[in-house]
Parts: sequence; structure tokens; C-alpha cells
Amino acid sequence: MSAVLETKRKRRGWHVPWNIALGLGLAGIVLAAALLSAWIAPFDPTRMAVGPRLAGPSAKFLFGTDEFGRDLFSRVLTGARLSLGIGFCAVVSGLAVGGLVGLVAAFAGRLAEAVLLRVIDVLYSFPDTLIALALVAFLGPGIVNATIAIAISLVPFYARVAYGLAAAERAKPYIEAARLAGINSGRLVRVHVMPNIGQSLIVMATLGFSSAILSAAGLSFLGLGVQPPSPEWGAILASGRNYITKAPWILIFPGLAICLTVLSFNLIGDSLRDLADPRRKRTS
Amino acid sequence: MIRLIAKRLAAAFATVLAVILLSGVLVHVVPGDPVTAMMAQSVTATPEAMDEMRSRLGLDLPVWMQVGRYALNALSGDLGTTIRGNEPVARLLLERLPNTFMLAVAGLGIALLLGIPLGFVAAVNRGTAADAAVMIVAVLGVSIPGFWLGLVLIQVFSLHLRWLPVAGTDFRNLILPALTLGLTYCALVARMTRSALVEILAEDYIRTARARGLREHQVLIVHALRPALISIVTVVGLVFAYLMGGQVIVENVFSWNGIGRLAVQAMLQRDYPMIQGFIVIFATSVVVVSMSLDILYGFLDPRMRQR
Repeated sequence: MSAVLETKRKRRGWHVPWNIALGLGLAGIVLAAALLSAWIAPFDPTRMAVGPRLAGPSAKFLFGTDEFGRDLFSRVLTGARLSLGIGFCAVVSGLAVGGLVGLVAAFAGRLAEAVLLRVIDVLYSFPDTLIALALVAFLGPGIVNATIAIAISLVPFYARVAYGLAAAERAKPYIEAARLAGINSGRLVRVHVMPNIGQSLIVMATLGFSSAILSAAGLSFLGLGVQPPSPEWGAILASGRNYITKAPWILIFPGLAICLTVLSFNLIGDSLRDLADPRRKRTS
Repeated sequence: MIRLIAKRLAAAFATVLAVILLSGVLVHVVPGDPVTAMMAQSVTATPEAMDEMRSRLGLDLPVWMQVGRYALNALSGDLGTTIRGNEPVARLLLERLPNTFMLAVAGLGIALLLGIPLGFVAAVNRGTAADAAVMIVAVLGVSIPGFWLGLVLIQVFSLHLRWLPVAGTDFRNLILPALTLGLTYCALVARMTRSALVEILAEDYIRTARARGLREHQVLIVHALRPALISIVTVVGLVFAYLMGGQVIVENVFSWNGIGRLAVQAMLQRDYPMIQGFIVIFATSVVVVSMSLDILYGFLDPRMRQR
């Protein structure tokens, strides 16, 4: 009864996946900016005095200039490369480690499962930005350490996701069949489980991407991530806050860049998750 | 009920202990010698002074003994002394903790006051333009970095309109940082409220309530919203933890005198005992709040007491 009602309602609902279209569009722009920044940036992003200090947006300096007379448009463009680069490296390494931990928890026996799950749960109850912040405090500031810290901060999330997917797979008959055929756990995971959960894992990876970019901007804003004069968005905001009255554009453009980037990956991640998990689609 | 409380207390204690051990170990993750790293900016970094610092921090002992000593001291309330100024870490942090809590509670209040009605509207009008609008607000909310929103609010309300002061710790200073946190995290609350309500609205007893001829607002508010609120209590702990994490950065934007600002100063100066202390105090606050909410949930929902 309710299933029939459900399909009817679904047919009436709008079909245009506006969120995924908007997300992909925005992500495309950011990606293009990151890849092409070396060619389309009108000025060297770290070169000082290419124009007057704290000049407002104009035809020559699209986003205005900062306190050293650097071109803000060039800096924000180049910042896209830094943010996406940090995000990509952090997500890939966080996913690799977290995925491995999740799979080990699911397939390496009861004891490993109990211990790892407990640890993952404790770590997961702390915000990822804070884990990254605490790690960077000990590792020291800098782009490499910030990336490592953000990658580690994503591990609990990915481990939980990988464990959930693997544990669901574990219950299926083909795994039992493979076990009866005498395959060891390592090969079982590699040959049978990974191909089946890989796609879902990659979908979840996009959700970590936006939080990695937010963490990177936050760390750099506090002076603990990418160091000036590198044009990281958070770092630009940190120096721009001293000129908040005289030059609000230093505040506006890098901030909008962060928002649009994070928004695009959130939109893509959410819609992919809905597509990958029909049960969620029904309730969300 | 007593069993539930005992179980939650034990779990909370285990978590705090794990965090204390972890933060004791973290000092040894520092590449190179922590004393050199800490005293690099100091003019008094003679070899003798560095040796003295090493033995004062117990860094000449084996690692497991150092961590054990740190844990025992921490459990008795001694988190060591700061490198700069040699003041007790625990006292400095606890002095600022009320400020942090005040801001966190105000932020959480705003997040709940905005998020629950938004989620309610979205769930009741599921699939309509109102739902889409709320979900757009929600995805925007999780995409805007809190520190940037804070700077924009300062620009608009303090510098442009001159309604509110830029920094400080009195009531008027609370408004902007609390608004920043509330606006950032109301998105999370709205999403959770919406999915809790959508699930409840599909329950049989809602259909029964409608079949009995109850007015729609009675069905929604008495039969749907009340149980939804109970399940929201469980996620408030998580929202609170994330809010406190975001607050570390927001405190620095507004120069709010809380533990987050203290911690970031310590991080920039590489004052390790202070950073360790911050991790322990932060984790303890989060754990205590989520434990209390779990117990409260036990009171609200009798089914939970059996588990």
C-alpha cells in the first residue's frame, strides 16, 4: 500500500537533479581555475607592488589588491590549486588508511573488530577540524604537515564507512562460499570484497573532500597551515582581517571561493550518496 | 536506569582516560626534540636550560613512564605548567572554561531555535519548494566556514552599522560569535530534524491519528514533533561536540576569552603542556555533555533504559 503511494509521489516530484548539476558546474569552474591558474592569472600571485596598495576591484585588478599591492584575483585563482591539492592528497591518503582500518576491523577476527571499532568510535566523536588542529600543533605548521594532519583527521570517518560497507558484504553467501573454497582473508578482501564496495567508498570520499578543504582553510587562517606568502584562501583571509574596514574585498573574494568550492563538493557528495543508497533517498 | 548511568559513566571515564594517554603520547610524535622545538624562539636556550627543561618535563625518562606519569598527574587534576610563564595549565584552562561554555550554549541555543523549525517545515512540506529552500539553506550552512561568516558579521554589524562591539567578553559581545556558531550549525540541526520527522511521519500511528480525525496541527505537533524531539536529544551531543570544535576558530575571530583562543595561542608558541591540557579539557567537556544527554535520553525514552 505505502509502496504504491510512494511511487506515485515520486513520479510527481521534480526530476531535474538541480543539485548535482549545480555542484558539477561549480566544481568544474574551481577545477578549471586550479588547473589553468598558471596561464590565466594576470599577475604573479606572490609578486608585490604590481598595483597600488589596497586598491578596490577594477578592470585591471578584478578582485582589487592587498596590503602589499599584490593582485587578489591572481592569488585567489592560485589558491584554488592549493586548496584542491591539499584536499585531494588528504582525501586519498585518509581514504587509503581509513579504508584499510575498516576492512581489517571487518575481516581480521573478533578481537581486532572490537578494539578497532571502539577506537574509531572514540575518535569519531571528536570534530575532524579539532583532530587536525591538535595534530598540527604537535607536527608544526606548514603545507605538508597540515595535509598529513587533515588526512589523519579523516581516517575515523572513512574507517567507519568502510567497516559498515564491508560488514554488510561479509554477511552475504558468496563470501561464505569463497571462505569454504579455502581463500584466506587477504585475498578474499582484495578479490571479492573490494570490487563490490569500491564504488560506494569513492562516493563517500567526495563527502570528506569538502571537510578537508574547510579544515585546510581554518588551519591556515589560524596561522597553523599553509604559511604566507602562499596564496591559500584561509591565509589570505587571516592577513585581510587587519584591513577589514579599508579593503573589504580581501575578505569577500577568498571567502566566496571557499564557500563555492565546499558547496560544490557537498552538493555532489549528497546527491551521489542519495543515488548510491536508495533507502536514504526515500527518507531524505 | 542505574545500570544505564553506571554504563555511561564507565564509558565516559574510559574515553577520557584514552584521550589523556593519547595526548601524553602525542608529544613524542613531534619530529626531532620537543625541547629544541619549544625553546627555539627563546633567548635563554642555553644547553643547561634545555637540560633542566628536559628533566622538568620528565623527557629524560622512558616514553611509557612519561606517559604513565602524565596520566596519573592528569587524573589527579595536575596538567603540568606552561612553558611560557610557568603557570599551572589546569588553572588557566578552567578559568576560561565558563566563557567557552557560555558561548557554546548560546550558539547551540540559536542553532536549535532556528534548526528545529526549519527542519519541521521541510519535513511537513516534503518535496515542495519550501523543502527545497530549507535544504538549500542547510547545504549552504555546512559550506560556509564559521570564521569567514564571523568576519562578515563583524564587517556588517560592528563596523558598518556600529550596532555591536568588535571584541570583548560582556553580554553584547556574546551576540555576534553566538550568531556565527548558531547560523553555521543550525543547518546540521535542520537536517537531523527533517530526517527524524520524515521517518516518524511514515509511522502507522500517524495514519491512525489522522484516521481518528485529529486536526493536522495536532497530529504534527503532538504526535510527530514530540517523539522527533526525543530523538534529536541524542544528536544534540554530537552537534555540541562539532560546535565546540568550530568554536576554537570562532573564538579567535572575535577575541573571545575562552579555551579555544588560549589553545591556538599555545599552538602558535608551541607550548606543549598547554596544548595537551587543552585536548584533555576539551575532550572531557564533550564527553561529560554527551554522557549527560545520553542519561537524559534514558529518562525521556523508557525503551532506552532496558538496553
